[in-house]
Amino acid sequence: MTQFALMIDCLRELNMASVFLRMALAVICGGMIGLEREQRRQPAGFRTYILICLGSATAMMLGEYDALMLASGWGESAAQPNTDVCRFGAQVINGIGFLGAGTIIVTGRQEVKGLTTSAGLWASACMGLAVGAGFYECMLIGFMMIVVTNNVLRRLESFVLTHSKTQNIYLEFDDIADLGAIVAEIKAMGASIYEVDTDRFRSNCADKPSAVISLRLPQRQIRTHLLTALAQTPSVRTVEEL
Amino acid sequence: MIACLDNLREIDLLSTFIRMLLAMICGGMIGIERSCRRRPAGFRTHILICLGAAMTTLTSQYLYTKLSYYTDIARLGAQVVVGIGFIGAGTIMVTRQRRVKGLTTAAGLWSTAIIGLCCGAGFYEGAVCAAVMVLLVEGVFSKFEFWLMHNARQFSVLVGYKDMDAFNNVIRYIRDLDLEINDLEITRRSGENGFASFSLRIHRKIRPDEIVRDLSRVTGILTVEEI
Repeated sequence: MTQFALMIDCLRELNMASVFLRMALAVICGGMIGLEREQRRQPAGFRTYILICLGSATAMMLGEYDALMLASGWGESAAQPNTDVCRFGAQVINGIGFLGAGTIIVTGRQEVKGLTTSAGLWASACMGLAVGAGFYECMLIGFMMIVVTNNVLRRLESFVLTHSKTQNIYLEFDDIADLGAIVAEIKAMGASIYEVDTDRFRSNCADKPSAVISLRLPQRQIRTHLLTALAQTPSVRTVEEL
Repeated sequence: MIACLDNLREIDLLSTFIRMLLAMICGGMIGIERSCRRRPAGFRTHILICLGAAMTTLTSQYLYTKLSYYTDIARLGAQVVVGIGFIGAGTIMVTRQRRVKGLTTAAGLWSTAIIGLCCGAGFYEGAVCAAVMVLLVEGVFSKFEFWLMHNARQFSVLVGYKDMDAFNNVIRYIRDLDLEINDLEITRRSGENGFASFSLRIHRKIRPDEIVRDLSRVTGILTVEEI
């Protein structure tokens, strides 16, 4: 038992074995999170997660290496022989924030996509920092929690979404003047409308006018009823739930 | 500070687990409310952000207290404040009517990251208080805001009209009532009915339904609908 504890303590310091172990853990755990995302055809997949996890772990270890070197040999000629071990790692958090922001897109239908992907990438980078620091417990707990969030809690989220009273509907219709009748029809069902966002009509564009309507249903049972009623309205070409 | 939590302020396996679990719960509570409202940042996004932020403060505390490295204990966490700003910026969009949406979501996401930092640092009291406050603001205050908007002097109406004369009648009607037009959007194809969306600033003397009723009586007006 004491030998095991000694071995763990040895792995908390920076040496060849711990560097290899930390990098391997970063690749394995990052890869497992990424594999699941890849299977769901999310933009950031297997290799993206591995690279980000590995990179953040390496950045953290680079800081530790500098601290180690300053303590042993480099410090002798320096005016102030200490560096902040977190400095490299800290910038990773910032940098992955940038990278994650690039995965977020706003579609033509006013939907924001890729937010969970960027949050997941960012959380994996933080996990990489923990393993780079040799904080194996934190990294393993974090890994489990990310996996649980991506799998189990996904179902909970879709359950919440199907039971939500708030709804966003995308509509395409023949003539922009029909929008008044459509809005009246939605209101007749007792739904209150938060917002109507119409597409600016351009005469050189052949597209049909469209609108995104945010509304709140009186009861959630009315949801399909409302959608079918809208679809049966003669002027409406496309109804889509966002 | 609550004294019975003091043995959880040191880093060990139990406190690490509790801090991260607390981050998950706080993030989840805030996120599930956002999911209910179908906001772009939902349940999982908030949990992941909160969890990641907790890991950063845990890591720097570990490096500082356990491994005794020379470091600034706040450095990792401080970058979260900036990094989540970027991710939040991605949720902000400008709609086709030149209005900015998603700002509250971005701000909520950012606050959740700060709650995650508190969880990771072992500042349990702060994390729980802030999570309750954020929930209160996003859940209860949004109803209050909706009520304010409902009773606001801001009023939007869609008007469908036959020709330019009818449109001029509408403008004249609004002028006569001394209403202020904040925003006006006209869509029109040649030879077809026109369509305008007005955003009006109304005063106490007239109620919105009276405006809708009167507008529909103007000659050449096809549809009037309040938004």
